[in-house]
Amino acid sequence: MIQVLDPTHEAKPAGVQRAARMPSLAGKNVAFVSNGKEGTVGFFKHMDALLRAELGVASTELLVKSNYSAPADAHIMEGLHAYDAVVTGLGD
Amino acid sequence: MGAPALASRTYDVDDIFAAQELYHSNGWTDGLPVVPPTSETVGACLDWAGMPPDQLVGIEPVRERPITAEKLAINAVMAGCLPMHFPVVVAAWTAMLEKDFLLHGASASTGGSAVLLVLNGPIRQEIGTSGGFNALGSSDRATSVIGRALRLTLINQLDVRPGEIDRSTFGHPGKFSYCIAEDEEGTEWNSLAEERGVPKEISAVTVMAAGAPRQIMNEWTTEPEEILETFAAEIRANMRGYSIWPGNYAVVIPPQLREHLQSAGWSKSDVAQCIFERARIHRREWANVGKGKVVRDRGDTEYPAMESPDQLMVIAAGGPAGGFGMVIPPWLGHKSHAVTLPIGACVDCGPIPLGEAPAAQA
Repeated sequence: MIQVLDPTHEAKPAGVQRAARMPSLAGKNVAFVSNGKEGTVGFFKHMDALLRAELGVASTELLVKSNYSAPADAHIMEGLHAYDAVVTGLGD
Repeated sequence: MGAPALASRTYDVDDIFAAQELYHSNGWTDGLPVVPPTSETVGACLDWAGMPPDQLVGIEPVRERPITAEKLAINAVMAGCLPMHFPVVVAAWTAMLEKDFLLHGASASTGGSAVLLVLNGPIRQEIGTSGGFNALGSSDRATSVIGRALRLTLINQLDVRPGEIDRSTFGHPGKFSYCIAEDEEGTEWNSLAEERGVPKEISAVTVMAAGAPRQIMNEWTTEPEEILETFAAEIRANMRGYSIWPGNYAVVIPPQLREHLQSAGWSKSDVAQCIFERARIHRREWANVGKGKVVRDRGDTEYPAMESPDQLMVIAAGGPAGGFGMVIPPWLGHKSHAVTLPIGACVDCGPIPLGEAPAAQA
């Protein structure tokens, strides 16, 4: 018998909860947090059109990170409170 | 020092084979067999470095995850490290956790970089490294297991597993282990660490978020400018085909080419200056490699591979015969910077000998 050790961080999942789902996006203001990569311009432009045409979104705003491999800048995070919803998590 | 009290969860397994299955089935390995970490072997590493198990090596700045000496030692043992290797692993991880290294981006990016570790100073000989034959492969036990320890720790402490935090499209073989000991005895040049501000008598690590090495060959000249043009051309090719952004490129120069450069009186600074002047492209050259759509109106803009000559890391290593050379490109040069730190074992102040040599970053 050998007793061996756990190599992982053994961290417990953070106690966070998902925000309540919005009943509708109609008339809402939506922020897009872009990582700033080349392909995001067309992607978010298309998404803007879809959200407006199909879900009645009132406005969208594109917020672009200064470094696509680092977390969003502090001023972006602080400013997100002004929006009803945020789209982020885009890869390339 | 007696056996330290460890905080990690333990598992009872029947034998070494059962241990392999436990670690593999939980996603705790790189796919190769591991040395089962026990309290005794992990304690020996901590003892060697003079570190209590709960000593904080650092905190990954993006996900704010603490890395303790105990967890680092567990992964080092798994990689095959002996206690005498452990201070190198500690120093390397301390350097990787510097904000300028951008560890999260480098380890998560689709770009697929690995952590290149360059070892300098007396510890290279103390732990039996080799900067000669097969310097970028399995040249010796120490560099193989130290490089692997960095990867296993990424996997187990930061969840840098393929498809989880690691989003690499390809990655490269350096992700198993990517560690070079510079051939300081085989060159008149200053070591890399000396060039980056660490005195010669102090051992040091330099870490860099690096792409796969690109091999060149020029055995048909003794002229320094011609030899270095071959390196510069490879860097230019990388700038066209991969990334145009400047940063810490590394070039590894073997004895056969070093002999010509040193005979002509060229120092590492001279080498870096020459390559700095030559390794640059115009944006319009993207059109030659199928990237014409992103040239736009900036075709005449010139991009250097390095912002300054000292961003080029010139490394002496390689076997005695062969006019080859290696260019190691940065993952994302203008975002992640190489970090050099002295190796030490200081319980209260970390591995930096205070007042002797600050972190060198370019």
